[in-house]
Amino acid sequence: MSAETTLGGSKWFDVLKRVPPWVSHRASAVWFLPLAASLCTLPSFASGYAMTLAVEVMIAGVFASGINLLTGYTGLVSLGQAMFLGLGGYGIAIGTALLGWPLWVSAPVTLVAVAAIAAAIGAICTRTRGVEFLLITLAFSQMFYGAAIKLRWTNGSDGMSGIPRPDLSLLGVNADSPSTFYYYVLAVAVFALVLLWRIVNSPFGSILIGIRENERRMMAMGYAVANYKIGSFALAAMVCAVAGILQSQYTYFVNPDSMSWQASGEGVLMVIIGGANVILGPFVGAAVFVVVKQALSLITDEYHLFFGIFFMLVVAFFRGGVLGAINTLIGKRR
Amino acid sequence: MSALEIRNLRKAFGGLQVISDLDLRVPSGQRHAVIGPNGAGKTTLFNIITGWQPPTSGEILIQGIPVQQGRPDLVTRGGLSRSFQKNMLLESVTVLENLRVACQAFHASRHSMFRSCRSFSDVVRKAQDAAEQMHLDNVLQRNVNELSYGQKRQLEVAIALCAEPRILLMDEPAAGTSPDERANLIRLINGLSSELTILLVEHDMDVVFAICDVITVLSYGKVLATGTKAEIQSNPRVIEAYLGQHHA
Repeated sequence: MSAETTLGGSKWFDVLKRVPPWVSHRASAVWFLPLAASLCTLPSFASGYAMTLAVEVMIAGVFASGINLLTGYTGLVSLGQAMFLGLGGYGIAIGTALLGWPLWVSAPVTLVAVAAIAAAIGAICTRTRGVEFLLITLAFSQMFYGAAIKLRWTNGSDGMSGIPRPDLSLLGVNADSPSTFYYYVLAVAVFALVLLWRIVNSPFGSILIGIRENERRMMAMGYAVANYKIGSFALAAMVCAVAGILQSQYTYFVNPDSMSWQASGEGVLMVIIGGANVILGPFVGAAVFVVVKQALSLITDEYHLFFGIFFMLVVAFFRGGVLGAINTLIGKRR
Repeated sequence: MSALEIRNLRKAFGGLQVISDLDLRVPSGQRHAVIGPNGAGKTTLFNIITGWQPPTSGEILIQGIPVQQGRPDLVTRGGLSRSFQKNMLLESVTVLENLRVACQAFHASRHSMFRSCRSFSDVVRKAQDAAEQMHLDNVLQRNVNELSYGQKRQLEVAIALCAEPRILLMDEPAAGTSPDERANLIRLINGLSSELTILLVEHDMDVVFAICDVITVLSYGKVLATGTKAEIQSNPRVIEAYLGQHHA
């Protein structure tokens, strides 16, 4: 038997298997190639509004992917991941706008700092489970949110502005242009996606999935489960911080709202809508979330009400999210 | 030196004394059963030995080294592996993936983040060998939730064996299995290396007598008797407290 069959047959890898080796899977290439071509050429045919939506979807997708690593793959449902989205935004704002560091220094420093903070918070949070974990992450998030409102040197609730976009003059382009910034976000999102795909398919990723499936069994196998959970927490935080960096560059601005519990909740919704523990799920969820929200807000001011109904319908009729439902349909047809 | 040594072990839950003054020595390579009626403290004893529950007092030594309480992972790494009374499997993944993850725990690749787990072929091969050893090689690609109960019990033991333990603790491995599955399980366990020390908790006396050389009988958390099969079968206190006339 070949080693290639290691993960075969496991339900939660069925959709996953259609990700990066996609290109080698003839059937998947049918939808992947047009999608990739559309994303690469979008600025040439799409309106400015459509490009704005696409950028928002990709940033939200990266944020939700961080949540998915923790929630979908490790089984730890957090309601505090927005603190890392905000920390990413504030980190890059402090580095570039306040200290005048270049992006290539500010971004790695921000990510390392976020990972260190997340590891410390994770060491506390991962001692709890279930609802307790959800509440303690929410509490930490609200603590950072409160601190961001009160801190004067980050302008309190007014937030920080003047965050520059990356200097791409070496490539002969200007990141302030919508199409250039679109490609910049696309590159970062694809990089994050591929990286996460590598991680969840790695031995480390299989440990996280094992923890989600049966934590006690993993301990009995000889795994120091607590350390892996902290590792997953820190990695997920770094991915969320990348989204925070992109978000603050996109708006040239960061304020405490990016750390609010609503932002965390929206990220979790995206994961549920798209499909948890599927690598593309958060991006699909982010696309549905952003587009439906925009569409409903054009129709009515009370779009929150209708969005709530929409969300309930997705949960009730699309178990496993949009990708989970597609996977089930494919399975039935076979 | 004994493979496993327990000295003056006590465990109380509040006012309830579950284990009191228990001493046990299991030499290397011995097949040792712990039997007793429900509530005798057998599973609690296993949980204490494997670091899942702290003892109230007493000492547990594995190959002469004290067990670090609260760290079952370190107990496994110390050479003692266990199977559980109720199946503790990674239910939504394949049999092979369960075994691969178990084998990976002792491989340097376990911290690797950027290489596919499929690329570590030695880990996969070891998992396949473990499956073969427990006659699970024909269901490698099946999800665990599609297996029969007997196959799940075999997988429990196979996962424990992936740690290449020197001591194997099995908590009622034959519970809930059919007569055929039980006979198969006995054959498989008896086929394991004679160097492997086995400590078995089991209610089915036919399984106990078929596998073990030495039997310890627990009653209300105390050792009632320890001896060979013949000694235990003829011990009037054991017959009265647990065996009855059927197995005497």
